[in-house]
Amino acid sequence: MKFLRSAILITLILAIALPVTGLASARQDVTIRYALWDNNQLPAYTECANQFMESNPGITVEIEQLGWSDYWSAIQSGFVTGDAPDVFTNHLAKYPEFVALEQLVDIQPLVERDGVPTDIYYPGLADLWVKDGARYGLPKDWDTVGVVYNADMLEAAGIDPAVMDEWTWNPEDGGTFEQVVAQLTLDANGNNGLSPDFDKDNVVQYGFTTDWPTAAGYGQTSFSVFTASTGWTYNNGLWGNEYYYDDPRFAQAIQWIADLWLEKGYAAPYEDMAGLGYFALFQAGKAALTTDGSWMIGSYLGSEFPVGFGRLPIGPEGRKSMFNGLADSIWVGSEHQEEAWQWVKFLASADCQNIVGQSGVVFPAIPEAADLSLQVRADIGVDVSAFTSQAAEEGGTFLFPITDYGGEITVIMQEAMDRIALGEVDAETELKAANEEVNALFE
Amino acid sequence: MTTTQQIVSIQMSKQVRARGGKMLAYLVLLALLFITLFPLWWVLRTALTSPTFVFSHTSSLLPVNPTTQNFERVLGLIDTSDLVGEGVVTSYMSTATLDFWVFLRNSFIVSSAITLGQTVFSSMAAYAFARIKFPLRDTIFFIYLTGLMIPSIVLFIPNFVFIRQLGWIGTYQGIIAPTFLMTPFAVFFMRQFFLGLNKDLEEAAIIDGATRIGLFWRIALPLVKGPILTLAILTFIGSWNEYLWPLLVGRDENVRVLTVALGIFREQTPQGSPDWAGLMAGTAVSIVPAIVIFLFFGRKVVDSIQFSGFK
Amino acid sequence: MVAGQTRGKPKRSVLFKLLNRLADNEAVIGYLFILPSLIGFAIFFAYPALRAVYISFLDWNLLSDAKYVGLDNYQTLVADERFWSSLRVTVLYVVWNIPVQTVLAVFMAVMLERFSTPVSSIMRGIMILPWLMPNVVVALLWMWILDPSIGLMNEFLKLVGIGKQPFIGSPAQAIQSIAAINIWRHAGYTSILIFAGLKTIPKSLYEAASIDGAGDLTQFRKITLPLLRPVLVFVLVTSVIGSFQVFDTVAVTTSGGPAGSTQVIIYYIFQQVFERRIKMGIATAASVVLFAILITVTIVQMRLLRSGESDLADYQ
Repeated sequence: MKFLRSAILITLILAIALPVTGLASARQDVTIRYALWDNNQLPAYTECANQFMESNPGITVEIEQLGWSDYWSAIQSGFVTGDAPDVFTNHLAKYPEFVALEQLVDIQPLVERDGVPTDIYYPGLADLWVKDGARYGLPKDWDTVGVVYNADMLEAAGIDPAVMDEWTWNPEDGGTFEQVVAQLTLDANGNNGLSPDFDKDNVVQYGFTTDWPTAAGYGQTSFSVFTASTGWTYNNGLWGNEYYYDDPRFAQAIQWIADLWLEKGYAAPYEDMAGLGYFALFQAGKAALTTDGSWMIGSYLGSEFPVGFGRLPIGPEGRKSMFNGLADSIWVGSEHQEEAWQWVKFLASADCQNIVGQSGVVFPAIPEAADLSLQVRADIGVDVSAFTSQAAEEGGTFLFPITDYGGEITVIMQEAMDRIALGEVDAETELKAANEEVNALFE
Repeated sequence: MTTTQQIVSIQMSKQVRARGGKMLAYLVLLALLFITLFPLWWVLRTALTSPTFVFSHTSSLLPVNPTTQNFERVLGLIDTSDLVGEGVVTSYMSTATLDFWVFLRNSFIVSSAITLGQTVFSSMAAYAFARIKFPLRDTIFFIYLTGLMIPSIVLFIPNFVFIRQLGWIGTYQGIIAPTFLMTPFAVFFMRQFFLGLNKDLEEAAIIDGATRIGLFWRIALPLVKGPILTLAILTFIGSWNEYLWPLLVGRDENVRVLTVALGIFREQTPQGSPDWAGLMAGTAVSIVPAIVIFLFFGRKVVDSIQFSGFK
Repeated sequence: MVAGQTRGKPKRSVLFKLLNRLADNEAVIGYLFILPSLIGFAIFFAYPALRAVYISFLDWNLLSDAKYVGLDNYQTLVADERFWSSLRVTVLYVVWNIPVQTVLAVFMAVMLERFSTPVSSIMRGIMILPWLMPNVVVALLWMWILDPSIGLMNEFLKLVGIGKQPFIGSPAQAIQSIAAINIWRHAGYTSILIFAGLKTIPKSLYEAASIDGAGDLTQFRKITLPLLRPVLVFVLVTSVIGSFQVFDTVAVTTSGGPAGSTQVIIYYIFQQVFERRIKMGIATAASVVLFAILITVTIVQMRLLRSGESDLADYQ
């Protein structure tokens, strides 16, 4: 009882003593807060920050890293409460909304003032961040999509990875891609998907898996690989206002993918992708092939079995990968816009991008720096040219669809894609309805 | 004066059935214990598994390729840049290390302060609601109750703005303030216990000339010691596990709490998966203090409940 | 503030005398007792809540100028099929979550009470363990255990001859799975609350009942349940309110999927703010509706359970 009462008394005294002063940190110079979500890039950017601070005494860069999902809620609440970082890593799916909310600094005048070249990057990357002559970021890196395979499984099935240099795909019969996937699928009796005795309800190894539960309206690492190769495009261009999810070519391709698990048993069903997801399935040795983005290379290299990276299948209109890039943006509420600009300029320069390239984690936006990254991987015996060749090929890439209402489209399309994947509705009907809902946003 | 009804006859069969029922009850309890503990074993097992093997041998009940490396990463005993050099770091693994002891200290400071404040002030209010007659008493209490029903997501942004105006972002008091003076939950909880107190004791004390404060201090408080300690433990652990608010207010390393620090082991890329091994090691380490506190005080809760208040 | 008394001799300070005089005035004392909590409530609960009601009549994203739109936001809500579905999903969740959790918790508490003190405190320590983990981690952990193809749960079910279950991967089982995860985390915690209530029931009552020849079940029905009422009311009211506000688990495991089958009301509100361009008006309007529902549900509960009194005080 004594303890309880003294605790109460102490509390009362404390309460009267409140508010105590916080931790006062003496700040003579300007501090720039910089945010990113990928902690694998943290060491490289810390290195960049150190170099920057050396050549810019008087500016301190504080790096904050938060996981992907926390990151965006923190950035958005920061806008509202006036506590967002000065500079932050921006994503194409998110930035149109931030432009609409008027939260990003137009750096075009600064680019012109300081004569910063915007043509030193992979073609098209810098333009992604421009709207109506205003520029909202400078490119830092890019990514493409490739095929990831479990080398042991290919060997066991007697498939030479070289098949990926030539394989084809079409939405009618799936082309040679579907043949390979079928051959890599095994049921409990050891029959593969091509065998007449194949039991599709009792599969122990799937030929293919993909990231469906987050595909939404973009399908960056999942359906876009197939849908884009039919010649289908998302919408009427950069900053467009009309989506084409009702295009029969799109519906046909989507239905073909869904049928891989709904009808044929060659791919892991939706429920298996919804838990820990496609990546865990692949790592657990439940699937032989998947499609994924170049930023995931490092994750696959941590596998227990040998992993290889192959080219995407050649569709009716050729090989197509989404070409996506990140950039660093400045928040309008930053009290140190000039210093923030200096930092963004440095991040976008060869000095910093070479450091990032040497880390091998991602492909920087400047080709020379990206070559460094390729080299780092090659030095440890990993061939990631599937991703870089795709980027270099004429017509090999299409851009991330940049329009307004990204958030809403994601909500609408994910529900539609879920229903199709669960076999509740056919793709054509569902996509027509979803497309109407999406286009209604722009009215 | 008990008001239990008399049960007239007891048949043998009833007793037998009762015994069978007891056995069944114990079996169910054992099953519940297993269900409770197994996932916790899974946390530990994964924490001791090397990151590469996290998704293989998923049905292995023992750690795969056992290693203490995850714990070392969590406790900041390993310099991860060395790991990067060896090429063993993958996106499976967060390259971040935790400044563990600092975050632990912060969690302690924040949780203790919230617990002390909230328990004391909420108990005082609860006593008044249960025992003192003042105008608008029940109305105010009901309004408090409605506070339980406000979706916290709505409170978030205005509170954040207020804390920011006070200049308390990145300070302990910023994290502590919203729940320091009360939560509707705590007031409601304590009131239910004060309601159950025997009135006779108080009446006797009033005849002896005790003041209200004296009544609260000398009569009521000792009788609800158990519930108060229970509330303190619940509050402590509740604030220990709080995530979203400290994430927004206390991102600064100086005041960052453990849960927020653990967030770095979660998914790092749009399609990435968490650093499972690191996350589980962090979880295991972060619940140890909570367990210790619970074991230490949990016993106290039981021992401290005396029935001196009942004749 | 309250003047402290040292044990034994009270210090007769001026403040204390004044307080003593005031102590005769019940109303003053009552308000003095609730003052700190009143301050906290006004600043951190009441003001933001009232502000939210005000915002629900605006078209505002917190960044640009607000526009008064009257009841537009409420009309938008009523017309939004996703809003209705989120209410349905939430009710479904509560219906799965609360009864199971409460019955389990009462059972566990009553069992715990029968053990000797050391065993009981060890058991209580074990029961509370799930609740010692942050919500987010619990959700991730169970996501793993329940994973259809590499999770342990299906391995276990296979052993006992039950086929593969999709759990959070199918609309038919997702919300139930999320309810189960939260029952796992909260049942032990709830049982501790109930246990604290059991401890306040005088042993003599049971002894008397035993002498009268009442069996376990009869004692439970006639003594335990009625005397537990204040605590049970508390547990039910708070857990129903909490259950209506389920969010973390959904955000971590399913993000409202598959096909919107776990899109609970708070997740809907969250999406309005964080995925739909900070539609504060819609988000707060939905919160006001939820608030109205919770008030109604709570009043009904309080009425049914006669919460304002306790049978315990009547016992001698």
